Amino acid sequence: MTLLKKMDDLVYATGIDKILFRKVQPRSLRWIPLFVLAALIVGYVFMASITSRPTAKFFMGWLLFYGAYLAASFLRVFGPRFVATARDPLDERELMLKARAYAISGILLAGFAMLGCFYMASEDVPGLWHPKPYDWINLGFGVQACAMLLPSWIASWLQPPPLADQED
Amino acid sequence: MSNLYNRIALFRAERGVSRRELAEAVGVNNQTIGYLERGDYKPSLELAMKIAAYFGVPVELLFSFQRFESVADTLRRAAAAGEQP
Repeated sequence: MTLLKKMDDLVYATGIDKILFRKVQPRSLRWIPLFVLAALIVGYVFMASITSRPTAKFFMGWLLFYGAYLAASFLRVFGPRFVATARDPLDERELMLKARAYAISGILLAGFAMLGCFYMASEDVPGLWHPKPYDWINLGFGVQACAMLLPSWIASWLQPPPLADQED
Repeated sequence: MSNLYNRIALFRAERGVSRRELAEAVGVNNQTIGYLERGDYKPSLELAMKIAAYFGVPVELLFSFQRFESVADTLRRAAAAGEQP
């Protein structure tokens, strides 16, 4: 057995092909994204609350935040289909769902970015928290995670409950 | 917005066609056929006409804004009128 064949078998045995080629049955992710979002926020707060040297709390926050970031990028694969494959193009319902989910997600993200800008204008107000340079980097990743997660979450709520009978 | 009723499930059962077969024939996901049958999704005119063409019936026989008469009621009416349904 050649190395290539072994690697090929490993891919099929681990099910990586299902993720790469999007062979998974799309499901509604109605509550899981909420936990991922909560983990992102809690992780960020833990990291941002450290003012001096990194502590155990900081590392816990780091793990939580970047774990949630990874989850956000993988959850898309299991949620409603947004990416067409050569065998399964998106049909009219899926295209409409995708358009609505991305539109709502864009509006929400723009709204939060606007509120963030208003908050950042309060730099001169003493006692308020403002991001340090490292916090800005985490914030960037946080926004990216939300941009990946929100469309799947919104689409899961926009589409009807799954069919009880998935026979064919 | 008014409800759009359909008889896709009835025609599918009568012809022995699976959701997947119908979905492949009209170029949609089989979940979409399921949502259509359940009344959770209103098809575009193009999709409605494709489904009607697949079953070889006029589109108004498959889709209606009024609730369709049940098969049992149709049979009962036919029996009362002395017709062979």
